[in-house]
Amino acid sequence: MSRRVAIVGVGYSDVGRNTGRSERHHAAQAAVRALDDAGLTAKDIDGASTWGGDAVDFAWMMGFDRLQWSLNVGTSPAFITPAYHAAMAVAHGHAETVMAFRIMMQQPPSSALAAGSAQLNTPSPGDTQFQHPFGDFSPTQWAGLLMNRYMHETGATEQTFARFAEIQRAYALMNPDALQKEPLTAEQYLSLPYITKPLRILDCDYPCDSGSAVIFTTEERARDLKQPVVLVDASALSAIRDMNFELLDDMVRTSPAHCGQLLWSRTDLTPDDVDTAHLYDGFSVITMQWLEGLGLCPPGQAGDFVMEGNTELGGKLPTNTDGGAINVGRRHGANFCIEAVRQLRGQCGDRQAAGAEVSVWANAVGMFSGAMLLTKG
Amino acid sequence: MDRARPPAIPNDPLTTNFWQGARNGELWIQRCRSCGTYIHLPRPVCRNCQSFDVAGERVSGRGTLYSFTQTFKAFHPFFVDRVPYIIATVTLAEQEGLQFLTNLVGIDETEARMGMDVEVDFEELAEGYVIPVFKPLTAGART
Repeated sequence: MSRRVAIVGVGYSDVGRNTGRSERHHAAQAAVRALDDAGLTAKDIDGASTWGGDAVDFAWMMGFDRLQWSLNVGTSPAFITPAYHAAMAVAHGHAETVMAFRIMMQQPPSSALAAGSAQLNTPSPGDTQFQHPFGDFSPTQWAGLLMNRYMHETGATEQTFARFAEIQRAYALMNPDALQKEPLTAEQYLSLPYITKPLRILDCDYPCDSGSAVIFTTEERARDLKQPVVLVDASALSAIRDMNFELLDDMVRTSPAHCGQLLWSRTDLTPDDVDTAHLYDGFSVITMQWLEGLGLCPPGQAGDFVMEGNTELGGKLPTNTDGGAINVGRRHGANFCIEAVRQLRGQCGDRQAAGAEVSVWANAVGMFSGAMLLTKG
Repeated sequence: MDRARPPAIPNDPLTTNFWQGARNGELWIQRCRSCGTYIHLPRPVCRNCQSFDVAGERVSGRGTLYSFTQTFKAFHPFFVDRVPYIIATVTLAEQEGLQFLTNLVGIDETEARMGMDVEVDFEELAEGYVIPVFKPLTAGART
């Protein structure tokens, strides 16, 4: 049994810095808004998945129907994992209508880390003995390694990343959901100090508390609901090694390259068919890896692709049109899904890409990743 | 919290000889005694042949610099007075793709070049707490 799957509802919580609201509160806000967006009621939902909190706990809290299917996801490629499995559950008839969540609470600030009053969570504590004694604690450090190697191999420069930040901010100024609301120039980017050279703070997603929810159901059911239909055309997950970004022996062609091969092997569409791209930017270099890994530009040329204006509105491939997580805050990949859906529905206002019919969204980098290709139904 | 105390190292039977080796001025990496594959980070089984006959072994301490990033922000109290410092990954000479996370020392960051030859050195962070770091290969040390 395999049924075509649609995305029918999307919603965010009141995302912000240190909101003081719980994971459950963010989940509930996102769920209510996703249901409203879809024109569904809580009783229509019979499946739930999440990373952050607990799917069954959320289902009971929200008054969902008795669940046919549920899944709690741990360390994995961000929102794509609960989303991918939600789509699979619908495709295979294990549930009719599934809500996938990503609830992400703000990490402690570096000042608290330096003072010793807080520590970052780690998925594999035993392995930290090969990181912490060398002063390696923060994702900004593996990101610095990836970015430096990327620049070394491809010729991308700090100006490339400055331009990328400038373009993303221009999109954010057209997005009411963005947390960063001030204009930004490449010069301002370059004037900022390094965190882990060559990485600066504007290469990093913006820490916040966030709740995101996306509803998957069958194409047949989607045709009776209130939103323009958005279909899942293909999806793929990839994992190429364990949770040690630093030990990747090729930091330029990582999991997204494998994920891209898998994705295109599962569809009749090609990279040339993609109208908008929504590519993870937990760190800016990750977007470069996805542009190349998905074949949206030639290998090693994502920097040139950005500098030539291709990712801007009106360019060949409008990319991260919500402003990316650097500007909308760390919604851990869910924002790329939700923005892709909104583009295909034609609901993006000033930042709408004309005639968008095929959109790809992608999450994570390094050892693991995932991508999903969506089409206008 | 004692600002001078470096991050604790767990009591881990798979890594005892790595840390003891460092105290002795030697770099030890786990190797499969059945097929000879080096395995880093240490694991209970060989990922090439699935043998459980794995053990630490002294390696040359030579390699090439793969990537590096100079860290300007401290993320732990011990490192507050040590920034900026260079985190680096080195491809060890023993095996293709055998990556080792370390600190690059003895060179200014602007002089560091990916692909340059490096060799292990050792730094005592606290009494009996020694880490293997890497520095540019000493001229004439190549054999």
